[in-house]
Amino acid sequence: MSVGYAAIQWSKPKRRYDLIVGLAIIAYIGTFMLVSKMLWTGASAISDEVLILRALGSCGFILLHIILCIGPLARFDPRWLPVLFNRRHLGVMTFFIALAHGVIAIGYYHGFGTINPLVSLLTSNTEFASVQAFPYQLLGVVALIVLFLLAATSHDFWNKNLSAATWKRLHMSVYGAYVLLVAHVALGALQNDRGLLGPIATVLGVCTVGVLHLLAAWRERNRDLSSPTSSVAGEEWIDVGTPAEIPDDRARTVCAPGGERIAIFKHNGRISAVTNVCAHQGGPLGEGAIIDGCITCPWHGWQYKPQDGCAPPPFQEKVATYRVRISAGRVQVNARALPPGTPTDPVSARSEAANV
Amino acid sequence: MSEHLLPPPRDQAIYVNYLPMPVGIHRFLKFAVPAVLWIMCALAFVWARSQYSPGNAVWETGKPVEFMGVLGAAPYPVLFTPAKDGTITAVLLVEQGKFGTQKRAAALSGQLVRVSGWLLHREGRQILELEPEDRALVRITDAAITQAPTLRELGSVTVRGEIVDGKCYLGAMKPGAGKTHKECATLCIRGGIPPIVIAFSADGSTEYLLLQSESGEAIDPALHHLIADPVEIRGVKHQWLGVSGLGVLRVRAADVRRL
Ligand code: HEM
Ligand code: FES
Repeated sequence: MSVGYAAIQWSKPKRRYDLIVGLAIIAYIGTFMLVSKMLWTGASAISDEVLILRALGSCGFILLHIILCIGPLARFDPRWLPVLFNRRHLGVMTFFIALAHGVIAIGYYHGFGTINPLVSLLTSNTEFASVQAFPYQLLGVVALIVLFLLAATSHDFWNKNLSAATWKRLHMSVYGAYVLLVAHVALGALQNDRGLLGPIATVLGVCTVGVLHLLAAWRERNRDLSSPTSSVAGEEWIDVGTPAEIPDDRARTVCAPGGERIAIFKHNGRISAVTNVCAHQGGPLGEGAIIDGCITCPWHGWQYKPQDGCAPPPFQEKVATYRVRISAGRVQVNARALPPGTPTDPVSARSEAANV
Repeated sequence: MSEHLLPPPRDQAIYVNYLPMPVGIHRFLKFAVPAVLWIMCALAFVWARSQYSPGNAVWETGKPVEFMGVLGAAPYPVLFTPAKDGTITAVLLVEQGKFGTQKRAAALSGQLVRVSGWLLHREGRQILELEPEDRALVRITDAAITQAPTLRELGSVTVRGEIVDGKCYLGAMKPGAGKTHKECATLCIRGGIPPIVIAFSADGSTEYLLLQSESGEAIDPALHHLIADPVEIRGVKHQWLGVSGLGVLRVRAADVRRL
C-alpha cells in the first residue's frame, strides 16, 4: 500500500469518477425514456414501467460490458488506467442499477396477483427443458445475486480478510454473471424482438468482450513462450536483455518456466526484481513505474520498495523478490522466487557479477 | 532490442490516482469522457428504437363507465350488452390487479345487471375492470336485452397463435404478450383472468377466442405452462349468436402444442 493511497478514502479523483459515471447513467436512461416516449405515443405507447425496467436493464448490461473491457484495454494502452483504478465503484453502481431493474420487474410482472411475488418469480415458469419458454428471469436472479456478492465484498476490508487470492477468485465470477446475463437477454427480450438489431448488437457485445480478452491473453502467451532461460548448476537464470533496454524507473517483464511473471525494474542505475503480481488485486506491477523510490502498481497505486518488495511504512504488504545478476553484459534474473519481503541487493547496471 | 520481452517500454507516464494526472492522460480524458457520454446516448437511442410497438390498446383509467346487460358468470364472467348497431357486445369482467371476478359474479349468473368500472379495449374487444365497491355489480330489473345469447357449436378447428391473459393484452400492460410477458400472463390466468387465444390467420387477420375447457369450464391447469408461447391448438369453436369479435374455443390440454 502507499501513504497516498490509504490516506484517502473517497478522494477527489474518485468523486470526479463517480460523477462522470453518474452522468453517463443519467444520459443513457434519459435518452432511452425520451426516445421511447417520442416513438410510441397514444394508444400504442409502451407502459412506463416496462420502459423504465428496460432502460435500467440495458444500462446495467452496457456498464457490465465496460467493466469487463477496461482490464484488457488498460493493458494495451495505459491511458485507460484512470477508468480502471475505480472500477469497483463502477461495479457497485452497476449492481444498484441492476437491482432497481430486478425489483421493478418483480413488482410489475409478479405483483398484484394471487400469490407472493417472490413465490411467483420462482414458480411461475419452470420450463427449463425448452429454449422457447426457458425461465430467463431466473438467470437474471442468479446474476443479480452474484453482482450483489461482488458489490458487497468490493471494499478493501474484504480483500484483506478473504486474502487477495480468494478475493480475486471470487471476483472472477463476474464472468459467470456476464454469461448468465447474455442468456437472460437472449432467452428473454430477444425472443420478443422482431428485428435483427437486438441479436446483432448482443453478438457484437459478446465478441468485443471476448476478442479483447483473447488478444490480451494471446499477447502475453506469445511472449511467455519465448523468454530464453539458461540453466547453470541447477539454477535457472532468465535473460532480460541489456541494462540499457530497461527504461529508467520502469520495468521489463519476463516469464519464469513455472509461468510466474517477474518484473525487473531499473532505478537510479540499479536493477532489482519482484513478482509481477501486486499483493492488492494482482495488478501487473511490471506495467507500473518507480515513483518516490517505490515500485507503484498501475491499477490502484500500491507501492513496494524495489530492494525488498515491502510497502513503505507504516504499511505491511509484501511481494516476492528475485535475485538479479549481470552476466556478459546482460541482465539475468533467477527463476526462483524469494519469500515475500526478502531483501536483495539491487545490482548496478554497470557491474559484472562474478559467477554465482 | 530483445523482442521477447513484455511489455515494450512505454514513454507515457502511468496514472496514479493520488498523484497529479500526467498531461498525456489528461489530454486523452478530455476527449474520451465526452465521447463516452455521447456513446451512451447513442446506445440508448439504438436500444430504444429496437423496441417494437405493443399494438393499439387502451386502458381508460379516468372516470368509471357503466354497462347494462345480461351476466354470464362461468367460467369467465362476461357481460352481454347491446351495441349501437343492433348486435351484442361481449364485455369481459375482471377485478383490479391480477384477479378474476368469478366470486362476485357467481350469485348473479344469468341475471340482468349494471356494472361499472374502467374499460380496457383493443381492436374493438373490451374488458371491464370492476370498481372494488359492491355497487359496481348490481342486479337491475330492466335492460335492452334480457337473455344471454346462445352459444352455438361451429365445429372442430386448428389454430395457431398465442394464449394471452385478456386483461394485460387488452391494455393493462404494454406489451401484454410474448416471451417477456409469460410469467405475468401465467399469474393472471391462474388468478382467474380470462385466457384468450390470439389466433393468427394466413391472411394476416387475427381472431380473439376465449379459451375454455372441453366441457366449458376454466382451462385445465396443465395448460398453464404453454401460456404466452407460440402454440397450435386443436379445439371446438363456438360462437355466441349475435356477438361478433369474440368467439369461444374449447380445448383439451393434450391438444395444445408448443410450436
Ligand atoms: C431479479 C433479477 C432480474 C429479473 C426478475 C429480471 C427481469 C427481467 C424482465 C422481466 C425483463 C423483460 C423486460 C421486458 O422487455 O418487458 C428483463 C430484461 C432485461 N434484463 Fe433483467 N432481470 C433481472 C436481472 C437482471 C440483471 C442483473 C441484469 C443486468 C444488468 C438484467 C438485464 C436485462 C436486460 C439487458 C434486459 C433486456 C431489456 C429489454 O427488454 O430491452 N436483468 N429482465
Ligand atoms: S494496487 Fe490494486 S492491484 Fe495493485
